[in-house]
Amino acid sequence: MSAPLKEVAAERVKASVVEVLQGASAGSGLTWAVDVVVTAAHVVRAGRLDVRLPDGQVREARVRLADRERDIAVLDVPRLGTPAVLRRDPTELRPGEVVFAIGHPLGVRHAMSAGILHAVGPLPEGYPGSRQLRRLSWVQADLRLAPGNSGGPIADSEGRVVGVSTMTVGGLALAVPITAVEALVRARAA
Amino acid sequence: MSATLSTFSDQLADAVERGARSVVSVHARPRLPSTGVHWRDGVIVTTEATVQRDQNITVTLPDGRRIPAELKGRDPSTDLAVLSIPTGQLPVATLGDPAALRPGHLVLALGRTGDGGPRAAFGAVSTTGGKWRSWKGGEIDLRIQSDLTIYPGLGGGPLVSPDATILGINSGGLSRSLATTIPVSTIDSVVTQLLAKGYVARGWLGAAMQPVRFSEAARAKAGIKGEGGLVILSVEPDAPAARAGLLVGDVIISLDGAAIEHPDQVLELLGGSVVGRTLKAELVRGGKQEKMDIVIGERPRRTR
Repeated sequence: MSAPLKEVAAERVKASVVEVLQGASAGSGLTWAVDVVVTAAHVVRAGRLDVRLPDGQVREARVRLADRERDIAVLDVPRLGTPAVLRRDPTELRPGEVVFAIGHPLGVRHAMSAGILHAVGPLPEGYPGSRQLRRLSWVQADLRLAPGNSGGPIADSEGRVVGVSTMTVGGLALAVPITAVEALVRARAA
Repeated sequence: MSATLSTFSDQLADAVERGARSVVSVHARPRLPSTGVHWRDGVIVTTEATVQRDQNITVTLPDGRRIPAELKGRDPSTDLAVLSIPTGQLPVATLGDPAALRPGHLVLALGRTGDGGPRAAFGAVSTTGGKWRSWKGGEIDLRIQSDLTIYPGLGGGPLVSPDATILGINSGGLSRSLATTIPVSTIDSVVTQLLAKGYVARGWLGAAMQPVRFSEAARAKAGIKGEGGLVILSVEPDAPAARAGLLVGDVIISLDGAAIEHPDQVLELLGGSVVGRTLKAELVRGGKQEKMDIVIGERPRRTR
């Protein structure tokens, strides 16, 4: 049997994943467009920060926008050079579909963790987590995330990105739906 | 391209979709609802620990309707509770054979928590084994443990195979480390008893006992084949043991035709459908073997 996950889906996504470095904190980011990286707002502060590419080169980056409630930041990274991710509307996914995350959990670079889609939408009424958390819609995945995954992609079995990793609640991985990121980027561009 | 993985992914999603047709959410505790399975037409099974009230219970069906359900009974020892709803509301679960599971088999846990679609978790069977007794005393036909994460609200939901058959119900309360599944056969038997009586009757002797070993001299004198038995330490008044004439100091050496040397053997005998049966006992009293008939009673129930 071939190893399609490694050879096609994961390799393709990995090429678009960067490390976001600011002071002592390190998160993950994904290439959104030419010279643009999307990451989680909680891994960046205003000011100068660095982005490390898959080949190890480091580029300087600037925070273009940060939405703290939705926990998404957009970075301008001149001479980025990495390919933009393919995207898929997560509401097209069915619970049970294979998904995987790529990021730098606990400093392990470009690590993959695989699992399945748990659900898409708000957390159930009464689920652990803050009220603010429960007001928002999430890509909820049954896979393992660790600090350092934040801002990295969660992708489907063909490597199309459906969400941006944010945190875990009750063990469940939560990611911002890629459609919400699109809406955010569009709104700020207008 | 990645046809293999995409095919696998589709199969899992199909299994979730098909399995979830008979999965409901159960509103029987404050805050987060739990999950239940439409086990027989009009009969919902969930875990006992998630049913925290006896009345005002509702279930949300896969089509989003929320309807009242009636608690028919509960058995804390196997962590199962049975609810009834009107018949014909949703498909009945397609049951599989959990005895065929081996470590490494891939499995899904399904849940429905509230009005939304199904929720799913994926993992592998970690250990399997034969009959065991839960820490609450219930006898469970098979040991099935997996590395599934039973997320909040998924308790009471089914363990589902990749071919969408339901192999049991996942319990959050029976073990702390690995996810534990109550197998189909145990559920069938408990459901039948709960529908008939509202509780699971267990046999009762009404005597305390502990293992004891015979000296060579005592064995020779009384002609005892075994090495030991269970010595009676106390007998409750009016209990089956008292009515049969069992006395403190008697040593039981066999029950229902089987040699007895450990209290677990008695517990096992009393766990089955033994209430009302007459068991033949062999015992040693005052250095001599005697025979006795004991009519097994029903263990008095503690009020909840």
